[in-house]
Amino acid sequence: MTIRMHYAPGRSDDSRLPHAFSSRVLVAVCLLLGAVNSAAWAAKPAPADEWKPPKLPAAVQEKPTGPIMQIAPIDRSRRSEVNAAAAKIDAMLQAYWAENDATLSAKTDDHEFVRRAYLELAGRIPTIDEANAFCNASSSTKREALIDDLLESPGYVSHFYNFWADILRLQERPSRDVWFEPYMAWVKQSIADNTPYDKWVYEMLTADGRISENPAAGFQLRDTGMPLAYVDNTTRVFLCTQIGCAQCHDHPFDRWTQQEFYKLAGLTSGIRYDAKQVLFGGMADTGAGSAFQKPDELIPNLGEIGFYVRQAIDDKKLDGGARTYLQMSSRMTSNMDDEFRLPHDYRYDDAEPLDVVEPGVLWGKIPDAVAEADNRTRFATWMTSRSNRQFARAIANRMWKKVMGVGLVEPVDDFQEGNIPALPELLEHLTDEMLRLDFDLREFVRVLVSTDTYQRLAVIYDPTSGVNYYFTGPALKRMTAEQLWDSLLTLVAANEWVYQRPTGKDLAPGISVDVSTVNFDQFVEAYKMYKQIRGDWQKKRNQANFQGLVLARASELPQPSPATHLLQHFGQGDRDAIETARQVATVPQVLALFNGWMTHAMLTPGSVIYDEVAKQKNIKGAVDTIFLAVLTHKPDAEIRRLAEKEIKEGVTPAAGCGDLIWSLLNTREFMFIE
Amino acid sequence: MFQNFRQQLPSLDDRHTRRAVMSGIASSTLGVSLLSPWTRVLEAAPAAGTKTAKNVIYFYMGGAMSHIDTFDPKPDNADVQGDVGTIATKTPGVQFGEHMKNLADLQDKLAVVRSMTTETADHGKGRYWLQTSYPVLNSIRHPSMGSWIVSPAGLGKKPNSDLPPFVLVNSNGNGHPGAGFLDPSLTPVPVANAEKGIENLELPSYLSDKAFKRRLDLADRLDAKFKQRYAGYQIESYNQMYKDAVRLMGSKDLEAFDLEKEKTEVRDRYGSSSIGQGALLARRLIQSGVRFVEVHYGGWDMHNNVADGMANKGTEMDQAVGSLIRDLASSGLLDETLIVLTSEFGRSPGINVNAGRDHHPAAFSYLLAGAGIKGGAVYGKSDDRGHGVDEDPVGLTDFNSTITVACGLDPFKQHFAPNGRPFKIGGGGDPIYDILTVS
Repeated sequence: MTIRMHYAPGRSDDSRLPHAFSSRVLVAVCLLLGAVNSAAWAAKPAPADEWKPPKLPAAVQEKPTGPIMQIAPIDRSRRSEVNAAAAKIDAMLQAYWAENDATLSAKTDDHEFVRRAYLELAGRIPTIDEANAFCNASSSTKREALIDDLLESPGYVSHFYNFWADILRLQERPSRDVWFEPYMAWVKQSIADNTPYDKWVYEMLTADGRISENPAAGFQLRDTGMPLAYVDNTTRVFLCTQIGCAQCHDHPFDRWTQQEFYKLAGLTSGIRYDAKQVLFGGMADTGAGSAFQKPDELIPNLGEIGFYVRQAIDDKKLDGGARTYLQMSSRMTSNMDDEFRLPHDYRYDDAEPLDVVEPGVLWGKIPDAVAEADNRTRFATWMTSRSNRQFARAIANRMWKKVMGVGLVEPVDDFQEGNIPALPELLEHLTDEMLRLDFDLREFVRVLVSTDTYQRLAVIYDPTSGVNYYFTGPALKRMTAEQLWDSLLTLVAANEWVYQRPTGKDLAPGISVDVSTVNFDQFVEAYKMYKQIRGDWQKKRNQANFQGLVLARASELPQPSPATHLLQHFGQGDRDAIETARQVATVPQVLALFNGWMTHAMLTPGSVIYDEVAKQKNIKGAVDTIFLAVLTHKPDAEIRRLAEKEIKEGVTPAAGCGDLIWSLLNTREFMFIE
Repeated sequence: MFQNFRQQLPSLDDRHTRRAVMSGIASSTLGVSLLSPWTRVLEAAPAAGTKTAKNVIYFYMGGAMSHIDTFDPKPDNADVQGDVGTIATKTPGVQFGEHMKNLADLQDKLAVVRSMTTETADHGKGRYWLQTSYPVLNSIRHPSMGSWIVSPAGLGKKPNSDLPPFVLVNSNGNGHPGAGFLDPSLTPVPVANAEKGIENLELPSYLSDKAFKRRLDLADRLDAKFKQRYAGYQIESYNQMYKDAVRLMGSKDLEAFDLEKEKTEVRDRYGSSSIGQGALLARRLIQSGVRFVEVHYGGWDMHNNVADGMANKGTEMDQAVGSLIRDLASSGLLDETLIVLTSEFGRSPGINVNAGRDHHPAAFSYLLAGAGIKGGAVYGKSDDRGHGVDEDPVGLTDFNSTITVACGLDPFKQHFAPNGRPFKIGGGGDPIYDILTVS
């Protein structure tokens, strides 16, 4: 059905409204925010006395009481070190501006800065209280203090999880028999623990075992059965170098040969993806009749469980999900070095088709310490070693872009000889910084956002305009889909954490079954536990349900969200390919802001902004509240006159308030980060 | 920036056409904002005496569709052909993959190009190249084929329609090059789910049109300073989308988006798949004044078990496209509608250990039908394994230029981007005149 009739035909009789407030002048404000006419909210025409406005779930209306999650504390004693590092970056940029006659953008005021800082580091706009607390503070180091506080907030974890989810292609089920919940939880946990980046990557590249016991295995399982795609993707994500073209022929624009591609692939071709291969030792990519295709005789109990599961499904004693659960539970990674060969159509002079390749790296050498180790370990050690400078350079550039909006090399994942950095000395300096900080990404971000340059107003970056961008301030960016959703949520829900996806610990009882040892009965028990846990979390999620929207942070919603969700309209990545999130304009985005349920949620009693406005004693207070909540600043005199006039001239003052909220949500100023 | 471009385009060599005069007036006196978004793109004068396309329905098979299992089977090479059988088509000697039953029966209306070739096996890059005719470059955003066709440099918007000229079905628009450097009003309007149409179109009932306009006006005034400070491409795109959204909400033709207006048996004929319902929606939109409909159908990245994948996806695609061609043929619309079916590249002749096929850019197949296209044609030849091209290689720009010609446009005419660089609709390749009925 094309046209969703969310609303009944209009009615003019407002007397049927339930009166939530009864005694104050602002009754009207409370009742008629956004001209909330009773009939407007009915899903279908109904007699007046049956009419009920949709209610926000109670759970989201109360502020959270306990801690949301455990996060590694920031070391505040390192502040002066951070400031010195930031100053060094500013100095390098100053020289660059001087050379290019560029002028630094104006400094952000407190309101502009607090909004930017919350969006950058906590993934959403600040609440009125948060903004006031910062703006009213008089300390000269309050910006530093805010940065440090935000870097250890749950919002930081959620926001940076979204950032990585787009790069790592995190989907709940990348394929039917691979379930990523434990891996997604582990990515989040690693951000909360602030695991050093090099160790984090090393863990992913070498993880052995089932995703339940070693969730980092998810990284390898993302490309199950695709050894060539795996090495291409891994190089692109962590070395920001694209060698994919060389899979079929020497790279047409870059230096990579097909031989080099295959040598590198030879280091990772030993990865195995399921229990049958791992436990029996089948071959992953040469195939041809290898015995793992008949695992039942080789891993007796696995065959046995499979047999009984099929029978139980046929007898309707188990549902069809049990079969998937069995496949899921037999997924695991391991490494078995094997001979890796050139393709049959290899056509260069330096080797023959189907020659065995000697595994090797793209540049530098594999550290001696792992000379005798297996191929996968050698690959991971080389990749993440301090002597592989491109590994540090690539992540330094990525994080620079995350903060400043534009990489020193663009696209960030296409380093090549012809792609000259905007400011090579700065890129090398940032690389040194990354190494100095031992790949502590949070500390690195802390330095970048502490620069004076970052604390300047945004500057337009448009590579097609012919106007150069000299990093004289962060590039003007539209909020990411997740920032936008989480910001809307801030205006609606006093508790944005009612629903959190399960952690690894929460999931453990349901996913720890070892299919190589358990018997059928134990397997069935485990399957029941798994379904129980999924059901429990479903119930928790329902507590945050409003008109089919789950009022929770984007990081806790389906990964990725379905195609018709506001997040997808606003360009959340599809997680099929690496980094597909976009911030371009489309018509459905506008329609969702005009008429979608998230907008209406805001105009419903119990929403944060509704209740804040209802507390105000006069129109001036209402206007200030609305501006602070939506745009994080009070209006200037001219705009104030306009806003107050609107409210006075509205059908009722309350209707005017609703109009003002709606109008501010639909400004460019709301969705772009100044 | 956009004003510049609108002035530049007509000034090339059709300065005196109505279109040029109108755009001149538009940008010099009326000011851009006074004109409604889609009427600014005016109808080009129809070319007389030819049967070129007035509409385009463009199917894009995301993930890279196997050519061997669809339009270029290799029955003599069992190891290449694998588990998907072949089927004879209406044209003697021409075979398709076994799941192409409807299209085999319609081969007399189709032109198959079996010698497509491209230079990248990366999904994202391959798709951009196909959609824009140009490789990804950091310094410019190229317009997609659809945006070119509905632009004043192409066929323009159809008169008397409130609907957007370019609609993208089964996609939320992410990752689509859209209008590139052309006017943002030429960006496709995405319909994420054909069955749901465009959501959030209805104003709440408490909000009268007048109150809605008042809100919009208020937003404009509250936003004036910000818009001025950051005037540029990003802000302008959003300004445009706001105009487009308002216009769409008030359109009298919105029913076109409602598939429930179709009889159940018609909907069933196209199939319940997203491509089936997408093809049906495309037909309705074309009938209601949309110029270019691009229907996406993903899931072709069959690294695993290609035979099962084909039985599923292949069958659904064949049913959808076949039903569309039959419907358009019986209503006469096929004479003025071009149907295109592409994918970013093909899949390897060798079947991997997971019974799947991997990426293969060296040789693959595309399909054309309808206005301007010779039915029953098979153009080009891949080698006996479907690995490389044996005869008449066709690059992406050659193929896209063929679309340009089928639409009655000059594939060699230069159009200038705001930065002064020249571009051609279709990338300036050599059109395949052998399969065209127009030139």
